[in-house]
Amino acid sequence: MKKIIGCFTLILALLLTGCSRGLFNEDAKITVYTRDTTSGTRDGFMNGIGFSEAAKQDDLLVSGFLIKDNTAILNAMTIDEYGIGYISLSSLTDNVKGLKLNGVIPSEANVLNDTYDLKRPFMWMIRAEADYPSEAVELLVQAFVAFLNTTDAGDIINNAGAIALPSSTTWDSIKNDYPITAEDNHLITVRFGGSDSIQKVAQALTQAFSAKAGNFIAEHDHTGSGDGWKRTNGDSKDQAEGKDVGFSSRNFTSAELANVNATQTGQLAWDAIVTIVHNDNPIENITTQILKNIYSGAYTLWSDLPETD
Amino acid sequence: MSRINTTLRSKKILIDQFAHQGLKTLALLSASFIFLIGSVILVKGLTPFLTDNDGLGRVGLIPFITGNVWLIDPTFQSSLYSVGFLIITTLYIVFLSLLISFPVGVLTALFIAKIAPKKLAECFRSVVEILASIPSIIYGLFGAGFILKIVYQMSQLVGVQSKGGNSVLSTVIILALMTIPTITTVSEVAIRSVDQRLIEGSLALGASFTQTNFKVVLTAAKSGIFTAAILGVGRALGEATAVSLVAGGRRSGLSFDLLDTTATLTTTMLEGMKESQGLDYNIRFSVGMVLLVVILITNFLLNLIKRKVGKIHVK
Repeated sequence: MKKIIGCFTLILALLLTGCSRGLFNEDAKITVYTRDTTSGTRDGFMNGIGFSEAAKQDDLLVSGFLIKDNTAILNAMTIDEYGIGYISLSSLTDNVKGLKLNGVIPSEANVLNDTYDLKRPFMWMIRAEADYPSEAVELLVQAFVAFLNTTDAGDIINNAGAIALPSSTTWDSIKNDYPITAEDNHLITVRFGGSDSIQKVAQALTQAFSAKAGNFIAEHDHTGSGDGWKRTNGDSKDQAEGKDVGFSSRNFTSAELANVNATQTGQLAWDAIVTIVHNDNPIENITTQILKNIYSGAYTLWSDLPETD
Repeated sequence: MSRINTTLRSKKILIDQFAHQGLKTLALLSASFIFLIGSVILVKGLTPFLTDNDGLGRVGLIPFITGNVWLIDPTFQSSLYSVGFLIITTLYIVFLSLLISFPVGVLTALFIAKIAPKKLAECFRSVVEILASIPSIIYGLFGAGFILKIVYQMSQLVGVQSKGGNSVLSTVIILALMTIPTITTVSEVAIRSVDQRLIEGSLALGASFTQTNFKVVLTAAKSGIFTAAILGVGRALGEATAVSLVAGGRRSGLSFDLLDTTATLTTTMLEGMKESQGLDYNIRFSVGMVLLVVILITNFLLNLIKRKVGKIHVK
């Protein structure tokens, strides 16, 4: 019995010393965490660090990487002192350390003033004037676009994990400008499409807006950013898959904007990604080049990283 | 008098027939689900091998079953999937977890059924039953929040830098915790139904309680205990949610290292399923098909062994 108690105390003591140690070993290997290849956040991150080939391909990454989802990466950084991962900025907490990128602190303010780089815009685009299935749909789409700039929509966007653009208008103060929203629209279908990364945000927005605008039917069919323009103002806009509102998780290209009026497009939010490490890790700042080198396997030890300011 | 009897009897027969037909329909309905599920998995799962997958090319069956990398080339642009290494790691993990859960589960059952005082046994029995009914996601959360930390710190103590604790070891611990209640419940029933006369006979011959328990009771309950192991293996093979939280999502290369990351057939099916489409979506059904085959073969083999070892019949 004494032996057993002794054993337990020993294990307990070992565990406690294990917990209390906060020394960071620079020569330890970097443990790389990533999302899986179908993730929009991975796409945004890899494109942001200039490693877009790896967005959809695992075998380009450093060997021995781990695949986890957003919450699991966050959780892993509270345990693994030598890990590095990336999460959506809206899920960042104090339990982990969010790294500065190229010297800029990852914060909502720095995303909105366009100094923080690891981000992508969420854009919308609507059809040309009088190019809708019916006038009611056109009026509803205009009302929806106006709704996107209200604080009501901002709350929904922030809740869905993106960062809304600043606004002080409430929907109640402008809803009289859009009399269509006071009618019963439950027979009218508005078609939404484009970027699949925006689908969650877009669905949350249309769900809330439909209730405010006569319960119109919002049909979501998100197939990728390329279809944001193509299906509203491009080749397939008059096909069966045509859309009334298209989204894109990147800026529209100049080729796409060639036949589009400035009033037909705009930004609804930012999606920002932050690189995170364990709180015991002394590193504060990182650059996109270093991140690329870590994810590609050029740097495998923490001591491989060059000094940055 | 006899007329009343006849009507009564025919009424009874009618009710019997109704009940009979009703139950038969229900049984057929529930049995037909297996065909429904089977055919959906089969149709979806065979598509990658039979069509050219919208231009990506056909997936080769032999490379699929023998390969060492989940996917070569970019997702949505390649058809070079394979699960060979996943089949082996899945079996390896299940075997290791059984190595822990089987002795623990059976000995717990022996204690509850034969040694513990009645009240204590009752208490333990309900605890085990509660454990058996805990959903797997709860085990997963426990694993992600607790086991990972312990495994990470333990491996640091022995001088190995594990990947945040995501490893074969954590997976095995979680699976063992999940299968212990299943094994305990089933083998406890088997142990309790051992003929009392056998036990009394052993005691009368001068064997001690411990000798009787280990040499007579466990031997007599062998067949039931083996069934428990088979059910445990079934649960471990099919577990996805909890395992995916602690496995680490390995995508290539076979590794038997206890502290290295790993993946099973089920976790690979689960990860990214929600955002997937096309071939990358269909291929998960093919993995499901492989999993079903693996489960069928393991069950068949285990039943074969069970028939060989479980020759002693009680009751």
